[in-house]
Amino acid sequence: MSILTTEQQEIKRAAREFVAKHIIPNAAEYDRKGEFHPFLLEAAKESRIFTMAIPKKYGGLGYDALTQALVAEEWGYGCGGMGTTLAAGVLGMDSVLLVGNDEQKQRYFDAIVKGGLSAFALTEPGAGSDAAAVRTTAVRSGDDYVLNGTKCFITNGGYASVYVILAKTDPSKGVKGISAFIVEKGRAGFTVGATDHKLGIRSSNTVELLLKDVHIPAGNLLGKEGDGMKIAMMTLDLGRQLIAALALGIAQRALDECVKYLQKRFPGKMQPGQTLQFKLADMQIQVEAARESLHHTVRLRDSGAPFSKESAMAKALCGDVAMAVTSQAVSLMGSYGYTSVIAKAMRDAKIMQVYEGTNQIQRLVIARAVLSPAPAAGAGQKAA
Amino acid sequence: MNFQLTEEQQLIEQSARDFAKEYLDPITGQLDHTGEFPEAVVKELANHDFLGLHLPTEVGGAGAGFVSYVAVIESLSRSCAAVASIMNNQAMASYAIQHWGSELQKKQYVQALVKGETIGAFAIYEHGSTPGIGPDALVATKSEGGYVLKGIKAYVRNAGAAQVYVAFAVTDPADPKSLTAFVVAAGVTGLKVEAALPTMGLKGCPVAHVVFDNVAVPDTAVLGAVKSGSDIATRILALASVAEAAQTVGIGQAAVEHAAAYAKQRVQFGKPVATLQAVQTLLAEALTDCYLARLGLRSTAQLVEDGKPFETEAAMVKSFLARLGSKILIDTCQVEGGMGYSETMPLPRLFRDIAGTTLLDAPADFPDYTVAASIA
Repeated sequence: MSILTTEQQEIKRAAREFVAKHIIPNAAEYDRKGEFHPFLLEAAKESRIFTMAIPKKYGGLGYDALTQALVAEEWGYGCGGMGTTLAAGVLGMDSVLLVGNDEQKQRYFDAIVKGGLSAFALTEPGAGSDAAAVRTTAVRSGDDYVLNGTKCFITNGGYASVYVILAKTDPSKGVKGISAFIVEKGRAGFTVGATDHKLGIRSSNTVELLLKDVHIPAGNLLGKEGDGMKIAMMTLDLGRQLIAALALGIAQRALDECVKYLQKRFPGKMQPGQTLQFKLADMQIQVEAARESLHHTVRLRDSGAPFSKESAMAKALCGDVAMAVTSQAVSLMGSYGYTSVIAKAMRDAKIMQVYEGTNQIQRLVIARAVLSPAPAAGAGQKAA
Repeated sequence: MNFQLTEEQQLIEQSARDFAKEYLDPITGQLDHTGEFPEAVVKELANHDFLGLHLPTEVGGAGAGFVSYVAVIESLSRSCAAVASIMNNQAMASYAIQHWGSELQKKQYVQALVKGETIGAFAIYEHGSTPGIGPDALVATKSEGGYVLKGIKAYVRNAGAAQVYVAFAVTDPADPKSLTAFVVAAGVTGLKVEAALPTMGLKGCPVAHVVFDNVAVPDTAVLGAVKSGSDIATRILALASVAEAAQTVGIGQAAVEHAAAYAKQRVQFGKPVATLQAVQTLLAEALTDCYLARLGLRSTAQLVEDGKPFETEAAMVKSFLARLGSKILIDTCQVEGGMGYSETMPLPRLFRDIAGTTLLDAPADFPDYTVAASIA
């Protein structure tokens, strides 16, 4: 466990209490029903947790990246589905945080401070791993842009009040023809399409967004025209840290449940055999290594050093560890594991290898960074 | 050793694939959704001679060997592993009664099981890690002319749907070696099936705890000899683990084929993702796991068919797939990305089914002990 400040420890404890009170008692039921959980939005509003990434000067809690990771780990510990809602509600505003002008930040963050939810919409039916293949268009028309297209797999899409949406402003320019826009809920022509039912994180809301001649003011453009893909990639660098934290929480929960089960199965001074002990030790090694990788990454970000490659590594590692540890836990617990909360953790863990860039995409990012020539006197990586 | 199926075995395998396409493909999605026991399909399995495949012709069976049996389980599992699992549990009951039963027991149950008129279940597991030990252990207390059974059998598959249970009880609570098998009709007074457990996969093959609240059975309910339960259970569970390996390979093969078809038509970066090495590697490794697992399990099935010892090999196959079974699906889902996580596509069901096949069982550490015991 990394050394934490008193404040970080307190925030972590508060997050744990929030999870124990609102998430853990409801997780199984909402998973079974596959239904969204509006009560959690109310609780989150009360605790202002959706504002944790918003700087204090805009009315947010202004947590640093490490503190955010500590909180998100607790969310994942409680439930991958509800954790996804909360994490997506935070990372939905990352683009504005990164490149928004002051007026945009005021406007967007104010909506969140007042209790609204945010969503980030990049993926389309034809643009998944190949994010640059977006077909949604944004055409300048007087003081407006007019958006047309379909987004899919959008977390919180049905409940958000503000969105960041990626669209092509210049189809002739490929990757450099994509731009990012703030789109508010309720704009004429902006509707929510079909809801997706998933293997896991079943209580989180995953929907299509339909844009038909949606007019937004030109002031809703983030950065400049053509900056969209760059903004999206920077946004994902941040988002990956939060998703890694969720995955880590899922893995830690599976490990804890496994330990509880083994303590019950081998009461008092009885010890499980070496086979079980070693498997348990391996789970512990994986979880701890994943946590250190994540904490290293967020500390880099907090210190102002580059962290894109490390973010991808932490996301891939935490996601793979969540999958491995939950499957191992189910296997060690046999029939009990298969019919318990751990089977749900295993289903939830699977998405951690898929969303926010599949772990194959993370590996492309990592390999590209490793194979590309080292930056001149690039002390950034080593100094950390 | 012959590594290829004979012409007859190939015909049986093909007939199972044809059956699966005609009767299972149309209901698989619905069955996964409702989880209701698919009675009509089980009748069709009987009509097509699959329920008696492994039994001799004189009891209405098809007289085919164990290699054909596992080929059928794999073929059915490619379409619907829940139905394969129901059939496999049915077979555990019918094989036990045919192999160790008295003439009376055989007459009463085997033909009905083969015809699908009776559903069978195999009740071995308990809440304690070893049958006979633990507070809820099923204990058979001798009474005049019979036994009184009290305790709980846990995680019984086909529970509720079954009309007959092969249930294992200790006749002496102080001695786990007194394990004895009983053939118990479901309707008997005091036998109660608890609510079906919420299982992640294999929906339609119910799993529940079965409570025996002072169930009186006659001496003629004993299967085989008193205190021979461990031998019976060990052999049946070893057979079942080979069949479950076939089930795992069937699910895995279906997943690889689906993911490959998806990868060929899913275009990203201007070309089908099947052309990407990362995707090819995922598919190639999963297909390799399926191929080698199939070789191992069929080789073990051949030992069974030849009447040779097979318990160590069965444990190896079980251990191998406990490690690799879920991995096949974890990796193939990756090929389909976000779509591979959507329940509108088949991979999530296959993911849940393969977990159900390899993980819904006793803890995964014991087959390794069996294997180690064979060399150390």
